[in-house]
Amino acid sequence: MIEKAKNTSSEPWMSTYLHSKGNQLGLPISGTFELTARCNFNCKMCYVHQNDSVNKKNELTADQWLSLAKEASSKGMIFLLLTGGEPFLRSDFEEIYTGLIQMGIIVSINTNASLYDENIRRLFLKYPPSRINVTLYGGSEETYLNLCGNASFERVVNNLRSMKADGFQVKLNVSLTPYNVGDMEMIDAISREAELQAKASSYMYPPVRCGGETGYNSARFSAEDAGTVMARWNALRNTEEATLRKAEMILHNKSADLTDTCMEDRQEGIRCRAGRSSFWITWDGRMLPCGTMNIEASYPLSSGFDKAWEETRLRAAEIRLPKECSVCPNRENCAVCASSCKCETGRFDGKPEYICEMMKGAREETVRIAEKIKKEKQK
Amino acid sequence: MKIKHKFIKRDIAGETFLVPVGETAMKYRGLLALNEVGSFIWDKLPQADTDKEIVDFVLDEYDVSLGEAENDVSAFLGKLKDMGII
Repeated sequence: MIEKAKNTSSEPWMSTYLHSKGNQLGLPISGTFELTARCNFNCKMCYVHQNDSVNKKNELTADQWLSLAKEASSKGMIFLLLTGGEPFLRSDFEEIYTGLIQMGIIVSINTNASLYDENIRRLFLKYPPSRINVTLYGGSEETYLNLCGNASFERVVNNLRSMKADGFQVKLNVSLTPYNVGDMEMIDAISREAELQAKASSYMYPPVRCGGETGYNSARFSAEDAGTVMARWNALRNTEEATLRKAEMILHNKSADLTDTCMEDRQEGIRCRAGRSSFWITWDGRMLPCGTMNIEASYPLSSGFDKAWEETRLRAAEIRLPKECSVCPNRENCAVCASSCKCETGRFDGKPEYICEMMKGAREETVRIAEKIKKEKQK
Repeated sequence: MKIKHKFIKRDIAGETFLVPVGETAMKYRGLLALNEVGSFIWDKLPQADTDKEIVDFVLDEYDVSLGEAENDVSAFLGKLKDMGII
């Protein structure tokens, strides 16, 4: 009569189960509210943050967010991610957050952790979030200043320790770019010292959502280097045995989990939960299947949540990925997704060469690292 | 019966869950799933002082024998007690 969901560092199975059911029935089980595009950082690779004074005028109000949450909950939404920009910049964050919790929504938060203060701490002690996802941008003030324009490293690390000491679930997200790749070992050490799960990506989407050029992000690696860096991060995080296993899997064209993707299946259409059991609402009230997806939006505030979700679902269902990808011999070790195809080529069915090269780089570097490990072991 | 922790009952995708709220969320991370009878009993908890009263509620609502009702109620309440919820 009663069943307890597992508490693991990965996704609880109840969430997996509900999303799977949502995918089948077309129910919005989870959502993301992008509370603001404003940020106290100005990261070189960001796909959201633009002009703060322009952005603030068009942000949804707390009442509007809570009204959308109520509608979404009535359709099945149970999991909600609050993101930005930097969500703690909103002066009404407490009002929004408390309202959501009191609706019985399981809320997690993306933050750079630099504005986490005693007020937010007290709020979270009263109403603990499901998880706080902290993006860690480097291992020094210099890197923070260079990449984010804000020397907040010490503050962020202190706040991470405080969150952990209070017993909150904290996960580190790491965006690897040419500006912070030199801090990779430091980032790894911080996560180990604080016993925090850390997920990294060296793939930076072209910021087409805020007017950027298709296939271009000035702050990212070349495709091959992005793959190489991903492989080095994996090797840093895994045991030598795990790296050797990954290399074996690659050589046998089997999945080696080279990147952290949200892929659920390898069908020709959309492969993740976007527009199937999850949605994203931008800071100015546009509903998208996913925050990185440059696609016609729906408008839940004017047309109602139900209609916007149905439109979003239908648009997502029409998406077809490149035919080449479905027969590619490397498909088991590829991170291609609908958003990356669109951002890289302007088409959902356009083959994203950047991703092909990046994954080739990741595969080759993983095999190289494995060979080196084998040689060391033979000595 | 006193529910010691704060939960919000929600129907999601045709199923019923208890969502822990506030400090309860630190103790019970994640969702608790209830079946139909569990959900019914949960709603009756504030109106009952004894297990026997809950059994009577179940007998009034469902076409089951006394033995079945007692077993189901005992199993459910036992689990709630074990988890420190009531």
